Amino acid sequence: MATKVKEPAAPAAAPKSAANGRPNSENPLISDDKLKQIYSTMVKCRLLEERARTLKKQARFKGNYYAAVGQEAVAVGAGIDLRPEDTVAPSHRDFILNFIKGVPLEIMFSQLYGRVTSPDKGRSSPAHCGYAPLNIITPASTIAAQLNIGTGVALANQMKKNDNVVVALSGEGSTSLGFWHEALNFAGVRNLPIVYICQNNLWAESVSVKLQTRVDDISLKATGYGFPGITVDGNDAVAMYRVAQEAIARARSGGGPTLIEAKTYRWYGHSEIDPAKYRSAEEVEEWKAKDPNAAMERYLTGKKLFSAEWKQQIFDSFNKELDAAVEYAEKQPQAQPIECLDHLYSFDVRGRELDRKTCTPQY
Amino acid sequence: MSVSYLDAINAALNEEMRRDPSVFIIGEDVGVMGGAFGVTKGLYEEFGPDRVIDSPLAEGIIVSSSIGAAMAGMRPVPEIQFVDFITPAMDAITQQAAKLRYRSAGAQTCPLTLRVCYGGGTGGGMYHSQTNTTWFAHEPGLIVVAPATPTDAKGMLKASIRQDDPVIYFEHKKLYRLPAIKEDVPESADFLSDLFHCAVRRPGKDATIVTYGFMLQPSLQAAEKIAEETGASIEVIDLRVLNPLDHETIPNSIAKTGRLCIVQEDHRTLGIGSEIAATAAELAFDCLDAPILRVAAPDVPAIPAAEPLEQFYMPDLPKIMTAMRQLLQY
Repeated sequence: MATKVKEPAAPAAAPKSAANGRPNSENPLISDDKLKQIYSTMVKCRLLEERARTLKKQARFKGNYYAAVGQEAVAVGAGIDLRPEDTVAPSHRDFILNFIKGVPLEIMFSQLYGRVTSPDKGRSSPAHCGYAPLNIITPASTIAAQLNIGTGVALANQMKKNDNVVVALSGEGSTSLGFWHEALNFAGVRNLPIVYICQNNLWAESVSVKLQTRVDDISLKATGYGFPGITVDGNDAVAMYRVAQEAIARARSGGGPTLIEAKTYRWYGHSEIDPAKYRSAEEVEEWKAKDPNAAMERYLTGKKLFSAEWKQQIFDSFNKELDAAVEYAEKQPQAQPIECLDHLYSFDVRGRELDRKTCTPQY
Repeated sequence: MSVSYLDAINAALNEEMRRDPSVFIIGEDVGVMGGAFGVTKGLYEEFGPDRVIDSPLAEGIIVSSSIGAAMAGMRPVPEIQFVDFITPAMDAITQQAAKLRYRSAGAQTCPLTLRVCYGGGTGGGMYHSQTNTTWFAHEPGLIVVAPATPTDAKGMLKASIRQDDPVIYFEHKKLYRLPAIKEDVPESADFLSDLFHCAVRRPGKDATIVTYGFMLQPSLQAAEKIAEETGASIEVIDLRVLNPLDHETIPNSIAKTGRLCIVQEDHRTLGIGSEIAATAAELAFDCLDAPILRVAAPDVPAIPAAEPLEQFYMPDLPKIMTAMRQLLQY
């Protein structure tokens, strides 16, 4: 059962009822500014991803892209109030978390284009952007990997006695891996300051969630690890924000981990080369009708916080920012071939590879 | 004072934990019990449960949590009780630890030292005896070391903990309490051993043996016996570092001796000897007077428990002697 939150809660305060994972309806409202910020960030995330998809289709960059269009409420609700010191452990589909956490667009598009100005200097997949200055773990493509490493970051934060948290994202497919369970079990045992967000978008590439797990709600799995699990409508940005902020506040104050299952849907295929023929057109249309951005628009309209002009302004100004970022990235050089040999170790290995000395007999 | 290999490791851990509060230990049975072999004995009492962490029985998270903690500024020293149990952690080791620096272009790193107990000859059977060192030697991004003496056990562990890279530190269970190798070990808190070069343990001019870990013992004995029997002098090189391989010491030795035999406890196919032989062929071809020989375990899946089977499997002094006679007579 998805939990619907009607009245939004303040982000920072940890509700008294938080321990059982249920939202507390007595909390004060989220500020109007925050609601508008959530919406505008969601809109920007979608514009950003649609731009990335277009550029990919135009073959302006190589490699692949994994769009989270349709899942914006989850990423924004979880990431929007994180501090720079907090760590994000992204899955393979969380490119937009970089934007939400504040990575400059020029750097993100450099990543798509594999230019030297990208954080990884052209090494990883275009969509796999990490950013050390804002503590975003550089993603591998292996599933549940960053979630595991993020658990270790949470261990370090606990040892250092700071109040930084880790938000570790994964999809429902990852919950089938032993690794996922090892991490959550360990976090439970050590009471680590971490929030696991399972973005249940019903499809792990082509495999239905019904073939991943027998339970209806993945949040149930938290029970086995002794910490709260909650299922939330991942297309309801206010609900997602509220639940995530409660969990983050609890982690920050030493209350331990939470598993949030956000039920949502990816509008497009697993990647840009996947036509997603394994799902019905009706299912896709049904979920598109539950568009989180449109829902947030209606919510703001009801609170008289929305106008078509404002939306147009967001579109116009952000599209200009995207234009500039694309232009910037396209002008940057790619790495020199020899740089393939760099960043293996803390020491240089070019010499090992290039200057292999042969011996002559000394006897 | 004569120190065992095990006590040298314990001292290194103790000294580094005293020196640097970011150093911590995590693994199965490492805390209250002091380790399955007693290697971490006394550390839980001195440093407490938050720095000597008895982990859940899950090798994957032992290594993954160490990677994350290292990325966040700690200096973890995780332990894998037997290398035979390391497979659940392979993704963490090969995909994460080995690649994190590379895939972030140096922005994110994980300086951790994964202590791994390995080696056969104790009747431990298929899953308490393996020597899967080559799996890790094949991974660029990892430093892989295997000390063979108490001095190296201490100095290389301390150096590994201070090294800004992920290190897999292989410790051979048969060396832990072996009386024959006990020796005086430098007591200075800042004594560190080199992490990048082989060591010539016995100089010679007629043939070269390259080996590591416990196999250094029968190799040195073979060199001694050959000298007594034939007067030939055998150079014995302790590999010490399996990755990145020292590309100078071994070819330079072959340039002197013209003959090479590799002794490894791992099975033959694509063991470390394969890479050493290939390197010798590439860098010292003109110096070779005889085919390169390998004394290795046979290509069977793991080391059997029953004594006759284990004996057949394990490289030992008689097998090394046979190979060396053949090498010298060529």
